[in-house]
Amino acid sequence: MTPVIECQQLNVRFRTDGGAVTAVSDLDFNLNAGECLGVVGESGSGKSQTFLAMFGLLAHNGTATGSIRYRGTELLNAPRSTLDGLRGNRLAMIFQDALSGLTPTMRIGDQMSEVLMRHQGLSRRNARARVIEALEVVRIADPEQRFSAYPFEMSGGMRQRVMIAMATLCRPEVLIADEPTTALDVTVQAQVLRLLNGLKNHTGTSLVLITHDLGVVAGLCDRVLIMYAGRAVELGPVRDIFRRPAHPYTQALLRSMPSLIIDPGKDLPVIPGQPPDLENLPAGCPFASRCLHTQDDCTTERPRLRAVGPDHSRACHLPA
Amino acid sequence: MTALLTVEHLSVHYSLPAGGLFRRRPLTLKAVDDVSFELRAGETLGVVGETGCGKSSLGKGVLQLVKPAAGRVLWEGQDLCALPAEAIKRCRKDLQIIFQDPLSSLNPRMTIGEIVAEPLEVHYPALARDDRRRRVDAMLERVGLRPEMRNRYPNEFSGGQCQRISIARAMISEPKVIVCDEPVSSLDVSIQAQICNLLRDLQRDTGIALLFISHDLSIVRYMSHRVLVMYLGRVMETGGREEFFGAPRHPYSQALISAVPVPDPDRPPAERSLVLDGELPSPLDPPSGCVFRTRCPLAVPVCITQMPPLSEAAPGHGVACHRWQET
Repeated sequence: MTPVIECQQLNVRFRTDGGAVTAVSDLDFNLNAGECLGVVGESGSGKSQTFLAMFGLLAHNGTATGSIRYRGTELLNAPRSTLDGLRGNRLAMIFQDALSGLTPTMRIGDQMSEVLMRHQGLSRRNARARVIEALEVVRIADPEQRFSAYPFEMSGGMRQRVMIAMATLCRPEVLIADEPTTALDVTVQAQVLRLLNGLKNHTGTSLVLITHDLGVVAGLCDRVLIMYAGRAVELGPVRDIFRRPAHPYTQALLRSMPSLIIDPGKDLPVIPGQPPDLENLPAGCPFASRCLHTQDDCTTERPRLRAVGPDHSRACHLPA
Repeated sequence: MTALLTVEHLSVHYSLPAGGLFRRRPLTLKAVDDVSFELRAGETLGVVGETGCGKSSLGKGVLQLVKPAAGRVLWEGQDLCALPAEAIKRCRKDLQIIFQDPLSSLNPRMTIGEIVAEPLEVHYPALARDDRRRRVDAMLERVGLRPEMRNRYPNEFSGGQCQRISIARAMISEPKVIVCDEPVSSLDVSIQAQICNLLRDLQRDTGIALLFISHDLSIVRYMSHRVLVMYLGRVMETGGREEFFGAPRHPYSQALISAVPVPDPDRPPAERSLVLDGELPSPLDPPSGCVFRTRCPLAVPVCITQMPPLSEAAPGHGVACHRWQET
């Protein structure tokens, strides 16, 4: 399979008053054409910063090194002109908070039309027709009327669907969805997930779904990247991740998650302790202090991602 | 089992004063409308629903943190809604609350030792200082914090640790009921299970009753013995955990349960999900008749005109739907 996105040795660091914070370290992964890659991790795992770096959207005190290429074009620290031609056009992103992702003082139809006028040179009138069509696809009732609504006049679920419609206007090859349903209620979450699933199946868009919810991943993704403290700890096909998780963190995460299929009579096994402090990362495996199977080299040597099966790898010193 | 706390026909209203261009008349928002339930000793009643369904207002109304517009909350033979403020304050020793955002519910200028000791100072003023200190240390240890941490401030703790401090503060006066308002929603997955298990352990040890408010059905199923489902301020369904999750009768409950993503890649979402269309109507202008009818796949004309009563589908299992027998 041809990768659309190739990420190699990505490092993201932030300068802060308290010293340097490493948000992402030595991350390697590919996104293949037409697949949905789930990126799973808790807060501070670096899952969002990875893709903000790819879009050139890091905060001013952040620096990224390494390489992220889109079909051979380097995106990391690329000139503004390169990024502007790709962002919103070939590469699109949906954010968790749809209210801050939309311009509050512009009618949603106008901000959506702008994307088409800019990237595809459409006239205002043609853009309007395409926007209304896109709003229909995401099941916004009365798209003609909603065209002239402001973001604050819509509910959270509607705004998230507008964001999806806007991100997909130019039929992007890659769509990054950063926690697209976290702020939504379950019944609205189901609507948005159904929409993303349709998009993946019908348009061939490659999708990255950043989430902390393994339930969402199971329903939508083909492959899963599990991140912990800025590093990839496991990468593999979705079925392997759920049926044969290879990294102790993935195993513990799956066991400790309340879901509708666990036995509520039994206590959930928990992951003890807290995630590590990103300012003082331990020398060895970042999960070592919470891991149930720690051996000597876990605290001294950082484990690299190594294959444990076809297309399935983990970063762990334990014998497989 | 006898009821510890009985809530009868409780309503919580917020009034929005007239003003500005868009609100010529004052409006009343009925956040909780005619809700009744019992909470028994040692049990957890899970209250579930989506944003704006009134679940948090219900918790606050029960504890008199907002004054209910109507109804009664019976506690040890008295109606809390009719008690003067002084008397309610005395009841607070037994009725405690934990909030969603652990950091903002802790005073940033107090050490965690002071925060946990405060309920003792209020409710047991005669307690000697040393005894108070011993009880605080024991409680910190009980919730999984080291007693040496007592001199630190809330901002030095992570979200999960702050929630442990909130639990210690709620538990120290040895209450009989704790209202838990989304206690794990702002926490990471690996921390959620720690806090859920801590609450379950404390309940096993002390027999405390929990009113567990959450939008997360997986967590409610793990925590609760019985469940109450709310939609736009009204009760849609109530029943035991097994009956409710095994065979929900209300179309809203059915949609809610089927919308929860299940962590199993061999169960594709399209096959099992009953996706509701549309949005939650404005609670300022709820639909007539059954409040759920605008999104209900089973709605018929009677749903527009008549509010369905809570019918007893089975002993202890109530459903507010005109067509529950057909579901």
